[in-house]
Amino acid sequence: MGEVVEASTADFVAQCYELYQLPPLGSLVKTRDQEVELYGVVCNATTAGLEPGRRPIARGRDEATEEAVYQSSPQLMKLLRSEFSVLVAAHRQEGKLYHYLPPKPARIHSFVYQCPPAEVKELSQSLDFLTVLLNARLPVSPEELIAACLRHMGQAQEDRRAFLVAAGKELAVLLGDEPNRLRAVLGRIKP
Amino acid sequence: MSLDLTRVASQVESMVSRLKAGVSERHQRLERALGVLGDEANDIERLRHKVSHSKTTWLVAGLAESLGQHYPPPPCPPEFTVIAVDGSHIEVDRHRSARCYLINLGSVILRYGADPAAVLDSLPRLYSEDKDLLIVPGMAGGREQPVEGALLGIKRGVEECRRLAELAGGLASDGPALALLDGSLVLWGLEAYPEFVTEALLSKGFLSYLDDIRRLNNSGKRRALASYISFPRSTDVVNVLRLVLCPHELADCDRYCPGGEKRECDAVSGVRDSELFYQTLGQGERSALFISRSSVVEKHYGRHQVYFFYLNTGDEIARVEMPQWAALDGGLLDLAHALALDQCRRGNGYPVALSEAHEQAVVATADREQFWQLVEASLADERLPFLTSAKSLSKRTRWI
Repeated sequence: MGEVVEASTADFVAQCYELYQLPPLGSLVKTRDQEVELYGVVCNATTAGLEPGRRPIARGRDEATEEAVYQSSPQLMKLLRSEFSVLVAAHRQEGKLYHYLPPKPARIHSFVYQCPPAEVKELSQSLDFLTVLLNARLPVSPEELIAACLRHMGQAQEDRRAFLVAAGKELAVLLGDEPNRLRAVLGRIKP
Repeated sequence: MSLDLTRVASQVESMVSRLKAGVSERHQRLERALGVLGDEANDIERLRHKVSHSKTTWLVAGLAESLGQHYPPPPCPPEFTVIAVDGSHIEVDRHRSARCYLINLGSVILRYGADPAAVLDSLPRLYSEDKDLLIVPGMAGGREQPVEGALLGIKRGVEECRRLAELAGGLASDGPALALLDGSLVLWGLEAYPEFVTEALLSKGFLSYLDDIRRLNNSGKRRALASYISFPRSTDVVNVLRLVLCPHELADCDRYCPGGEKRECDAVSGVRDSELFYQTLGQGERSALFISRSSVVEKHYGRHQVYFFYLNTGDEIARVEMPQWAALDGGLLDLAHALALDQCRRGNGYPVALSEAHEQAVVATADREQFWQLVEASLADERLPFLTSAKSLSKRTRWI
């Protein structure tokens, strides 16, 4: 679905191959640094002009539909790019899954894939990643991201309700002294 | 020390007041030119004869039809493609150790219609071999010419045309297409160089690529070729009006009007063709076809002799040049008129394919510096000596 264009130990940015083909907020993606597979949560996405100095301008005044704007200026698809940021939450080395940061960041130009449901389910067996998400500095609020991530993981479970209740309990412990934040997350994941 | 603008300001002021003083005179000249252009009494055959047999100190357009003709925009075909190529280059730097230059060709293919698509690409090429750096005279004799400065600019234009022909030839679609270049089809600068340079760059280069595009039309495909000049400063057509005003049967400037004498034809001098057509062409209209009579064209271009028309794009008067084979094919002429106008409409006044090709080609100042750093780092990696001139070093490491 995309390729790493910026990477650090705790996160990476990937560019989509197709404009607007962004993974949903909170979904799980994976990439690879040689033998190590890196797993992360999509924590932000942007679409903007390819070059920093060239801002898109409004073009639709004489067009009937939004699609017609792209039809009459086919170069737009090549001059805009969609990127998404990923918070690294886990990695797999020699077949074993670890719910903490990998030894090295992703490589530039590594391919990024959406995690299949089986892998999402496997990753959600430990809720340690919630600590990572709660403490990250993000352009979106951590409560919003955690809720999106739990909803996404919930869809891969056989018993979605049981999973969300377990996650809620874990969050109650982590956010014991911050009831407002806890309420913000729980309100967004109601089964 | 940076430019002392306070010292420049007073000079700018006097320039502006001089220009202001000339406004009413320019207006009178334009009115006079419009009067001559619109004069139905102009005998086209007589004028054509006068154009081709006069000796003038200014360039006069050849006449393909009567002066005041103008044409409304033809409709665009439902499906069409526009190809454009533009280039930029990194000049040979004699203060650097490695003698080389770089040409970056930006290209764009835009397909419009039911299945729109775009291909944007840039193709940098480094030239460092002797055959790239020098044009040698061969049997004819003469001094070899280094490819730098103005000659490198011409070489770049030739490479742009080569790429355009390549892309036009590789176009998968059978629908009509317009191949666009930026600037003039006339390689003016060649007049200053010996004949073997013209042979190498024009006959075996530029014109052979134009011919490649021409031949694409033999297989039933419609491939028009045009070059687009924004804000043209040319006066070829106004100079025809000067000939109309010239009282002599045939003009001969050096013989009849030597020195700084006041001449009848000065009544329209200083007016640009674009000013003239700004007044006479409606939105989207094009002017009559004219023919470039520059010496390099007349001598070498043959079937690619350069024709041109002016186009009211709605934002400005542009000059569109086409080789003879395209200009005299009514279908290709209409295609170029319709698509050039459509490109301007899509590109806020300037053909979108050309502006995107330019964006692909542009080499920024920072890129230039990085290019030379790459060259020097690569020389250092191979333990090759790289000597830089003291002047270049002093410019790059400034001190007090």
